[in-house]
Amino acid sequence: MTTPSSTTATPPTSQDVGIGRLLEEVQQAVSPPTRPHVVEFRNVSKTYNPGQANSFTAIRDVNFVVADLPNKGEFVCVLGPSGCGKSTILRLIAGLEPQHPATTGTVHVFGKPVEGPGADRGMVFQDYTSFDHRSVLGNIAFGLECQGVARNERNELARHWIEQVGLDVAKDSEKYPHELSGGMRQRVAIARTLILQPRIILMDEPFGALDPQTRMNMQDLLIRLWRAVEATVFFVTHSIEEAVFLGDRVYIMSTGPGRVEKELEVEPADRPALEMARVPRFQETVYYIRDLIAQLEAQANKHAK
Amino acid sequence: MNNASAPKPAPEATPAVPADTVVRRSTDGRSNGAAWFAFRRPIPQWVGILLGALCLAIVFGIWWFLTRGPHEERIIGYSALPSPAETFNRDQFQNLWFDNALTRNLLVSLQRVVFGFALATLIAVPLGVLCGCFPWVNAFFAPINVFGRNIPIAALIPLSFALFGIGEMQKVMFIFIAVVAFIMMDTAAAIADVSSRYIDTAFTLGASRRQIILKVLVPLAMPRLFNSLRLLFGLAFGYIMLAELVTEGGGVGGLGNIINVAQRRGHRETIILVLIVIPAVALAIDRLLFMIQRSLFPHQYGGDGFLHILWRGIMHTCEDVKRWIIAPTPLQPGQQAALAHKPAAHEPHAAPPT
Ligand SMILES: Nc1ncnc2c1ncn2[C@@H]1O[C@H](COP(=O)(O)OP(=O)(O)OP(=O)(O)O)[C@@H](O)[C@H]1O
Ligand SMILES: [Mg+2]
Repeated sequence: MTTPSSTTATPPTSQDVGIGRLLEEVQQAVSPPTRPHVVEFRNVSKTYNPGQANSFTAIRDVNFVVADLPNKGEFVCVLGPSGCGKSTILRLIAGLEPQHPATTGTVHVFGKPVEGPGADRGMVFQDYTSFDHRSVLGNIAFGLECQGVARNERNELARHWIEQVGLDVAKDSEKYPHELSGGMRQRVAIARTLILQPRIILMDEPFGALDPQTRMNMQDLLIRLWRAVEATVFFVTHSIEEAVFLGDRVYIMSTGPGRVEKELEVEPADRPALEMARVPRFQETVYYIRDLIAQLEAQANKHAK
Repeated sequence: MNNASAPKPAPEATPAVPADTVVRRSTDGRSNGAAWFAFRRPIPQWVGILLGALCLAIVFGIWWFLTRGPHEERIIGYSALPSPAETFNRDQFQNLWFDNALTRNLLVSLQRVVFGFALATLIAVPLGVLCGCFPWVNAFFAPINVFGRNIPIAALIPLSFALFGIGEMQKVMFIFIAVVAFIMMDTAAAIADVSSRYIDTAFTLGASRRQIILKVLVPLAMPRLFNSLRLLFGLAFGYIMLAELVTEGGGVGGLGNIINVAQRRGHRETIILVLIVIPAVALAIDRLLFMIQRSLFPHQYGGDGFLHILWRGIMHTCEDVKRWIIAPTPLQPGQQAALAHKPAAHEPHAAPPT
């Protein structure tokens, strides 16, 4: 199998499953890297409301590393049951409160500890978060407006991105969010993030509320855009198919408290989502992960008893 | 909007509704009178107008009945309540318009409300925005707001004479004190009500705290805030009567003063007419403000949003002025490249070589 291997040595006992390859260990920083890692979690725990009666540890001792590959960003998908801390991890990378700062451990992005949110780490949420009082154009140009880019320049670039995400410049750019469908809103959300050229794109179940057909179209769109922008994507999803289709790498988390349990390398998508779903080796990987998650859950339940 | 459209099944003919459906039964229900008591069933507009007219007719009917006949034989005597015919006649209207200078006094009252309210808005809205953003600011102002919202406002009148004299200042400040706490609390509530996911989004798009307040929180809270302001303005218009009715020394002008003078002279007809004029004016102001509101926030109320577009134009001009002083940030190289590769659709085609 010719999966592109990562910079750190993968254990020889890794196991091939369909188009995926299960790595024995979650990839971790061993030696000081030549280039700073894109994202590095070292013993990260997050306890909400510490010291109070309702204190709750969402993740404990999470360790993983996303290495910086030359001229290529990785597409990392995060799978796991509800409440295992997927959003917590994403928001720790984004530097958003109250998840940020971590209770213990360190979160590094490009070798520097995360100090707060910034446009270098764009985020797309599941809830539609278009600004209601701004047109599509105004929403997409928002980040550039905040930077102080001249109006004609930012509007022209915003129009370019309206096209890039498959909307119609003439018809849609002066529409307001309430006139858009869910899929169109997420296109706007993707455009306004990518226009700022973030090096990391954080996506928290962005297609969770879309119908299956729209969802597949959006997946194809996302793959196309991601190849063009060379950013590292963190993509949280509940759909195993989506994770296997989109991801170069899939993290499987378990709950109580959350941690990254397994890591898979997956072959990149080479055809549209609809066709990919028919490939037997693709389905094999999906089934394998499904069994793996069931197994992890059974283990967790045994521990709980 | 989906670019790859899968072949869709041909639309089937809609199945006929079975004979005995819920829809059917409810239609039957209307014919035997149950429609009147169906919960929340909308009524046609003309029925609404007719019902309103009916209510008015009953009120005037009762009024007429209680005050019919010669003065001595009435159920309610003339000195207590004049009859409709005595109230709505030309002499009375003339008396009100010319002798009592209705228009001028109305404008005097309005001016006081507008000044007091504008002052309160200028101070309370920015403070309210801060209260809605930062709980510690809210905690700081909490005592003032609790006091301001719970004090019976009429009880402040004697003190307001002592503090602000008996002139215009007293009226304006009275309105100011009456509404300032309400405006502040409503602003804070409107800001706090904006979902924090918009703040998160703006942060990940690189907005600063100041930009989040000015470009995200305030605009998103604006429709609700404007609505509160409109309702509070109606309240303030009611309060000005209070300030004009309770006076030290006469001749303060305003609608309240017309009532005071009429009361002293025993002109009950004038009082009743003013009592009808006040709500009519209040309603007209309210509708006008609502039209402005609609036009400002087309994303909330639909419509062409003329004022919204006007406002955007003003903001653009402000930005242009700012760009004169502070040079714009250039695009990053990657962003410029994205534009350069784009086929220049907006530029005119180059002249063909000759
Ligand atoms: N602000 C908070 N305060 C207290 N507890 C929180 C907070 N945010 C999250 N939690 C708890 O932390 C746990 C992990 O939350 P998180 O949102 O990261 O889960 P998730 O994996 O994203 O779940 P889902 O798939 O449902 O989105 C959950 O049990 C949640 O109840
Ligand atoms: Mg989540």
